[in-house]
Amino acid sequence: MHALRTAVLKFKQRFKPKQNATITRLKRRKAAVSLFTRHLTHLMIILLAVGYLWLLILPSSRLGRGTYMDENALQPAQVNTYWNWGDVNAADRYLEQLESLRDSNATSHQRSQFLKNEFLKLGLASATQKYSFISNQGDIHGSNAYAILASPRGPRNEAMVISASWLSRSGEGNGTLNLRGVSTVLALARFLQNYSLWAKDIIFVISDGYLDGMHAWLKVYHETQQSNLDAEPLELASGVIWTALNIDYPGHSFSHLGLFFEGLNGRLPNQDLLNSVQRIARYTGQVPVTVYDHLDWRDSSKQSSEPSFLPSSLRHNSEVKEFTYRARNLIRNFGYQAKGRASGVHGLYHQFRIDAITIFAVPATGPHGFHALGRIVESSLRTMNNLLERLHASFFFYLLTTPDRFMKIGNYLPSAVLISVAMIFRGLRCWVDAGWKLNQRIKDDGDSSSDVITWTRRKRHVLHVLTIMLVTHSLGAAIFLSIQSSLFLNNQMFFVPLITLATSLVPFVISRVSDPRDEGSAPIWLVLKALNLCSASTVISTITVLNFSLAALLAVTLGLSLSFSGPSHSKLLSLTKYILYVFLALGWLFFYVETREAIWQWEILSVWFAPFVCLVYTPLLLQAGTVCILSS
Amino acid sequence: MRLALCWFFLFLVGCSGVYGHEEYFNENLKISSLQDGRVSTTFSFETILKGVPPRDPRLLNAPDSSQHYIVFPLALGQILREYAVTELHLTLNAGSWNYERWGYPEESGVGTGAELWAWMGAGAPMSIDDRWQGLRNALAGLFCASLGTLDEQRTTSPTHSYFPHGILPSWNGSSAHELRHGSMPSEHVCTENLTPFLKLLPCKSLSGIASLLNPHRIFDADWHGLGIHVLWSGESGIKVRLSFQGVMDPLRPSISQKRDWSLESLFGRSIERSCPAANSSNIYVTLPSEAYNISPEPSKIVGQLASYDILGDKSFNVAMKWPRSFQYSPSYETSVPISVVRTLRGATQASGKLSLVISNHRSTPQSLVYLETMPWLVQFQLHTLHARVDGRIRDDVISNISYMAPVPHSRPATFQAELRLAPRSVTHLTMDVDKAFLRYTEHPPDAQRGWDLPPAVLIPILSDTEDNHTRSSNRQRLGQPIYTSTLLVDVATPDFSMPYNVIIFTCSLIAFIFGSVFNLLTRKFVVIGPDQPPEK
Repeated sequence: MHALRTAVLKFKQRFKPKQNATITRLKRRKAAVSLFTRHLTHLMIILLAVGYLWLLILPSSRLGRGTYMDENALQPAQVNTYWNWGDVNAADRYLEQLESLRDSNATSHQRSQFLKNEFLKLGLASATQKYSFISNQGDIHGSNAYAILASPRGPRNEAMVISASWLSRSGEGNGTLNLRGVSTVLALARFLQNYSLWAKDIIFVISDGYLDGMHAWLKVYHETQQSNLDAEPLELASGVIWTALNIDYPGHSFSHLGLFFEGLNGRLPNQDLLNSVQRIARYTGQVPVTVYDHLDWRDSSKQSSEPSFLPSSLRHNSEVKEFTYRARNLIRNFGYQAKGRASGVHGLYHQFRIDAITIFAVPATGPHGFHALGRIVESSLRTMNNLLERLHASFFFYLLTTPDRFMKIGNYLPSAVLISVAMIFRGLRCWVDAGWKLNQRIKDDGDSSSDVITWTRRKRHVLHVLTIMLVTHSLGAAIFLSIQSSLFLNNQMFFVPLITLATSLVPFVISRVSDPRDEGSAPIWLVLKALNLCSASTVISTITVLNFSLAALLAVTLGLSLSFSGPSHSKLLSLTKYILYVFLALGWLFFYVETREAIWQWEILSVWFAPFVCLVYTPLLLQAGTVCILSS
Repeated sequence: MRLALCWFFLFLVGCSGVYGHEEYFNENLKISSLQDGRVSTTFSFETILKGVPPRDPRLLNAPDSSQHYIVFPLALGQILREYAVTELHLTLNAGSWNYERWGYPEESGVGTGAELWAWMGAGAPMSIDDRWQGLRNALAGLFCASLGTLDEQRTTSPTHSYFPHGILPSWNGSSAHELRHGSMPSEHVCTENLTPFLKLLPCKSLSGIASLLNPHRIFDADWHGLGIHVLWSGESGIKVRLSFQGVMDPLRPSISQKRDWSLESLFGRSIERSCPAANSSNIYVTLPSEAYNISPEPSKIVGQLASYDILGDKSFNVAMKWPRSFQYSPSYETSVPISVVRTLRGATQASGKLSLVISNHRSTPQSLVYLETMPWLVQFQLHTLHARVDGRIRDDVISNISYMAPVPHSRPATFQAELRLAPRSVTHLTMDVDKAFLRYTEHPPDAQRGWDLPPAVLIPILSDTEDNHTRSSNRQRLGQPIYTSTLLVDVATPDFSMPYNVIIFTCSLIAFIFGSVFNLLTRKFVVIGPDQPPEK
């Protein structure tokens, strides 16, 4: 016992501060801060490298985990399905009628009347809704048809939607008709009302067009105003919609079912819905499921998609194949989510807190058809019917790498956050450098000479810099307003170079017009760079939780480029850098089709990608460009 | 068996002689085919306790006269006398009645879920609200329904829209009666409610018409509802009517799209024997206007109504057949003067918009009483109440508004108004509502589901001559009520699935902020050189 006590005492003695505790702590803190600042550049480089590397290895099969059902009420694939060949026959009959409608070039009004009559013949309450959108890129008119199956013994305050748009999502709504999807919905309407087990109303919606019809229907259903939408009110009403399924079946038969889930502005549906449909397709329908229309590399029918620059030994490596497959899925996801686009009609539901996905029948020569699809949808509806509450368990933030594996938010979020942390470190470094000037002189005191380092405060012209930033953001707003006008949209080839030129001149004017720099104050470019980096970093880290793909895209484009902005010794080099920044900031204008599409999405569907690019992305890069041409 | 029956009858006769009041039990079943191929069935079991008045509430403390009944349900009678209830209506319904296709129901109380309303005399030693609470709890126990939750947060007294169906007695000249009304839209009605309901019948479900109440079939209906109505009709005494309504779909199991039905096909049973306690036992079938075939031949046909007297019959089954298969028609003739669609929309969790679309199908103007009872968590913005006809705001539609504001966490709102609809018009009523922010303990266990809101009631005004809207005048003035469907409202809901995370996050944040702020406020900052000794 005594030995133990002496041992403890010795131990304490050893760690007991030799001096006053406060001083030691202050010293320790000072040492830590100095270590941190001395190695800040290294730290920044490490953070950037880790962030970019993390983004690169996101598709790795080592990351992520298997999907699982979180909501116990759903019970997917636990029911016997009754959809049978008689119902397949009914779907075929509907398809024949729809094909004759297509061949007779029926107007959308005639189509919706036909659909309404078919629903009425089944004894369902049905109606049509005409709508029109006014847009600078041409007005859109159409007519939706919908029917409501009142749930037996149900209080009529809950509903689930099963929908098909007239145009398929294949080619992002380029005109392929979704006739089989529509006939599936009609045949389902006929079939589902033979069962008294529905606890919620089932709403069948056949929307006109690709995205426009459903958007008009949903807007009116939820009584939200949109100034450029003129739509008839809905005659029939049902309750709160929790879940919806959209059916897309453009081909003759299908081999796989593809899941599409990205919604407007990067919203995702609850993962439980995806997981249920995936399980149902696998166990009830015996149909393989893919993410999007990307077939698994193990699938024999699948063409090799590995990049050709790889040596063939690598190309046939299963790890590489797996990585490429996952990378394709993620890139597709990033493409939709970053641009805020919906990957199908389902994406319109998410803004009203409705969890929805599109089941896409990947066109193939076989082996599956109405029989498998009907059973899968029936079983999925039974699962949705089981819901007692809105889907709230499971995940709303995920990256789906394969149909049955996903990444949790904690596994992918740090990549973008690390890059934004590196940026803010760099920004703060610039801020400090701008405020303090290092004076080094040699002090000679007789026998020895030594360096004496003193720091002097410098004035930072923050207001001036903020004005520059404000000008660039207003410039972005001006660009945004001008590209929406019909004048621009009709003469894109003429106006784009004009806008680019005009915009690129503004920073020159800024750099020449005013330089309040008096002797002893910080260079303007340094303060501008500091504020630019800090604001960019804040934007990225805020966006990560709203729309990770957009944040990752920003981190990739802004992370390195903003960090290395700055005037060079040679004027030519500065100018080259400036041109590069302007190209990064405004290069997107030259993608004529993409720009038009983004503006259309903003006008009709309120996707904020276009305003975001104009008001945030472009100004940030213009500021970086200005940094390069400001006199050092 | 026969001997036992004889003894039973002897006992009946003996009892009625001893206790001096007569009791009658009448049962009937009405079956009619609806326009959309469905079949409506209405069971009605009426017990009359002749010559007995309701209990005088002023004598509640005095010992009650002994209750000896023969066919009158004792369990119900005890509750009525215990709380001195003069008139009582309880309905338990599942589904939303489709007025446009099915017309008016036989039993008018078809609001989704549970609805309970009672008239009780004043002047008792116990307050009316205490008696109402006791009544709720007693009925909840009797019918295995969650009526106990119809507490003060759901209780209203909408006297403009409800009137007594019987006579309210006056004790010593005072006939002060008060109405208490509560509805519970999220109540699910099923077997556990039917079993106690059947127990109140003299023959249970063993014989007579009640034997058709086969839970497997009636709870598979498109709509079903139980009702218990107690009223006093003066001379003829206290009437207790137990009713069951169901809307069945004979087309669903039919392969040939025929709407043929029989008792056997509707209920999975036929009547094996009649109820010996019944004074009358009839089955009425509404005959359709097109070609049909009914068997057996009805004993009596009055107008479109065929009737069968099944008292004394050994076994009975009735079947209706149509020669042709059924075609759904694109539109339906409706006997109800108006149709109404009520919705609550709005994408946010803080506010919404209540809207009613009321169509007047008649070519004459129609006046209505509009009653909305709303739990406090949805608060009306009355100044935004507008009526639009053809898109134009009209001021002459809404009149006589009476509004009792809600009290947060306790009392619901009662909104009553009179509407005047132009002939063949569609009127849009809209009103903005605020959704309350609930205390976390006030959320129901399935918080993410939202809250069920009770149906609104629209009552056509038959004659607008009388101006004094007293209770007795309401009876002549008001027609059969029309219930709208219920609503589901989302209020802001915390994520109850991760309470620990939430608590831990919040606590850490508070602790962190408090710690740093406290530290800054209380610490004294002194500059000390590293080689300078600290001041003691």
